Amino acid sequence: MPVEITMPQLSDTMTEGTIVKWHKREGDKVKPGDEIVDVETDKATMPFEASEAGTLAHVAVREGERVPVGAVIAVLATAKENAAEVKKGAAGGQKASAAPPAAVAPPAPPAPPAKQPAAKAPAPAPAPAPTSAPRAAGARASAARERVPPQAPIAGAAASLESASLSEVHEPDEVGHGATREAATAVPPILGHGQYGHGEGNGRRVLASPLARRIAADKGVDLGQLAGMGSGPGGRIVQRDVLGFAERGPAPSAPELPTPGGAAAPTPATPPAAQLPQRVPSGQNQVVPLSKMRTSIAAALQRSKQQIPHFYETIDVDVEAVSDLRAKLNERLKAENIRLSLADFIHKAVCAALIAHPALNATYDEKNNQIVRHGDVNLGIAVAIPDGLIVPVLHSADQMGLKELRRRSAELIERARAQRLKRDEGGGGTFTVSSLGTYGIREFSAIINPPQVAILAVGAAEKRAVVRGDAVVPRTTMSLTLSADHRAVDGAIAAEFLQTLKAMLEEPGMMLV
Amino acid sequence: MQFREALRSAMTEEMERDENVFLMGEEVAQYNGAYKVSEGMLEKFGPRRVVDTPISEAAFSGLGVGAATAGLRPIIEFMSWSFTLVCLDQIMNNAANIRYMSGGQFKCPITFRGGNGIAHQLAATHSHRMESVFSRVPGLVVVHPSTPADAKGLLKSAIRCDDPVIFLENEKMLGDRGDVPDDPDFTLPLGVANVEREGTDVTLVSYGRPLQRVVRPAVEALVKDHGVDVELIDLRTLRPLDTETIVNSVKKTNRCVIVDEDWGYCGMGSGVLYKIQKPCFDYLDAPIEYVHSDEIPVPFNHFLEEAMMPSVDRIVAAVKEVCYR
Repeated sequence: MPVEITMPQLSDTMTEGTIVKWHKREGDKVKPGDEIVDVETDKATMPFEASEAGTLAHVAVREGERVPVGAVIAVLATAKENAAEVKKGAAGGQKASAAPPAAVAPPAPPAPPAKQPAAKAPAPAPAPAPTSAPRAAGARASAARERVPPQAPIAGAAASLESASLSEVHEPDEVGHGATREAATAVPPILGHGQYGHGEGNGRRVLASPLARRIAADKGVDLGQLAGMGSGPGGRIVQRDVLGFAERGPAPSAPELPTPGGAAAPTPATPPAAQLPQRVPSGQNQVVPLSKMRTSIAAALQRSKQQIPHFYETIDVDVEAVSDLRAKLNERLKAENIRLSLADFIHKAVCAALIAHPALNATYDEKNNQIVRHGDVNLGIAVAIPDGLIVPVLHSADQMGLKELRRRSAELIERARAQRLKRDEGGGGTFTVSSLGTYGIREFSAIINPPQVAILAVGAAEKRAVVRGDAVVPRTTMSLTLSADHRAVDGAIAAEFLQTLKAMLEEPGMMLV
Repeated sequence: MQFREALRSAMTEEMERDENVFLMGEEVAQYNGAYKVSEGMLEKFGPRRVVDTPISEAAFSGLGVGAATAGLRPIIEFMSWSFTLVCLDQIMNNAANIRYMSGGQFKCPITFRGGNGIAHQLAATHSHRMESVFSRVPGLVVVHPSTPADAKGLLKSAIRCDDPVIFLENEKMLGDRGDVPDDPDFTLPLGVANVEREGTDVTLVSYGRPLQRVVRPAVEALVKDHGVDVELIDLRTLRPLDTETIVNSVKKTNRCVIVDEDWGYCGMGSGVLYKIQKPCFDYLDAPIEYVHSDEIPVPFNHFLEEAMMPSVDRIVAAVKEVCYR
């Protein structure tokens, strides 16, 4: 009996999902565990795995289309069945209701009755799917086993940058710095989307450095896919863009599948940022529909700021000792090709300080009138991405040494940027760090990411005139601002945490005590 | 040892080694040298080998070319290379071409040396950077050392060279101190650049005075404050150019910044750029940057003079630009 694959519910609040990319084509063999499709939820883009073996007989929802949770998105022919026949059956049903090319397609109609695996349907999809249309009877309860942790991966943090590159004044961190710029410059599409060497459409060339072209040729990367998105001046594609692309693979992009029946191409739910004009022409307005992520950020932040009585405390930290230590350690770690960033030290100190002040490593449980203090620090790190921000979580960060923090946070941030977080990396945080240091922001106040009770905003490390004794001396200083939930934490408790954090950063040996 | 002492010890050793070597120029003997480079040499070698001349570059440079052609090995000191504009015929026409024009019957083993370039408030007519003028002439060797040790090793090689050598110094470097080998056989090869610092992110190419004045401080700032791992190349010899060393470095770093105090258009760095851009093309991740002096007459005013020349900030900005930082 053919197996219907339905839109999974990948988070508690997800009611519909957009097909971003099919990794398998009709006719491809599939085995359990294969990633068959990338689904954009209200929070993130996640890969969805097959749970049965077979042949992908029919793709019911094209890339770019959005359907409610539980709708059939594909049909799998099992070993005993002929994929072509299964497709015929499935597609026949599909045609009857010829999906309009709307942003939200209606759920696929049920398969022909003869093939309905009614007996196998264990439960209806649990989501409050807002659909009056008939849901496929074979809806698999895949969503149930794929629950995400209760916490939203979208940050309650103020628009933030990943904190891997706080160290402006000293040495910019290689990974953080480069990657940050990439994210920041990924948007302006000054150039057209022509192919390498001979543009189509607007007829412009793809600008790339000679080195980038050579590397692209070596690695088989099509520079046309990066056109206009390079991090060099005027969108020039440079070495790091090609290397990054080769490593991460193509970002989820708008599909350009031929539309059967001559219908108009489906409108992608989220227009790719690269197609936005760089400036709004004078005398015109530009309408930017809220993406799923923007909507989600808007709701989460508004809720947090309205419901949580925030209070803020700022402390200045002298980071010269920790910078010296960083330089010393990096000298030793050179052979291992590891370069610790100032952010790693801050993360380490935050974890140590949270263990000492459990009142801040906590979540506020309003329903049960209780505060839950956590024995592990699951550290959220706010990361800016082109059309929003995301807070991936480093679980049990308190148990990591600096090397592990560096490696794991770099991988995590990389995956967050590529919107390919693993499921448990999107939530379950107990405390969040957000940094705008690379922008030269001296200090700022972040919005708490509920149910967490506090968030730390990290400013730039910069030389400031500091009074020592009776003299004014230049010292590299950084301001840290804690936002805390007054329902759970009081001012003195927050202040004690900040004092501990300051002591650890000014005398890094305190982290060992 | 001071730069001027290194030059003196190179000349002294070579004059002791070969009786055909002699020093000639304005004020080199009785006055002990306008910049005290030849201090004590008259006393040591006598007026036959340390010769004061009238104030006529055309006359004494021509005399030197003739002496070299006849078999001696003259060292001609110019008070300033700016003054050689009146004797380009002797240098560019005669010295550079005698070997070629005579079909190899004559050689011209002569060393011209003296202060070159901008050397603090010498004003427009005494601040010429002559390296690009001479480095384009086949038949000449052009050397521009940046440390006392290099000055000694390269000057000894220049004096021993059978072709005319343009040996460029700078008045503001004569007091520089550094360790200098006292081995009388210590020489440095002509035509070989020195990778002064190895690095992975960008190749910085320079020579002579700017190295001492701004390039080395810029490298320190880039490494320490900006996390850029700079590879620094001191060209030492400007003709023949050690293209191979530069190209190999750029193939590694994929970025290149050239710094000199010449004017940009047809300047020394333009020539270097011309030599390397083709072999480096497929390895470049950014256009080669060239940091040079502003294209104006050199001002007398101290602040304006400083402002027209490459600065640490300009070099840092250029390096960051090619690194896309």
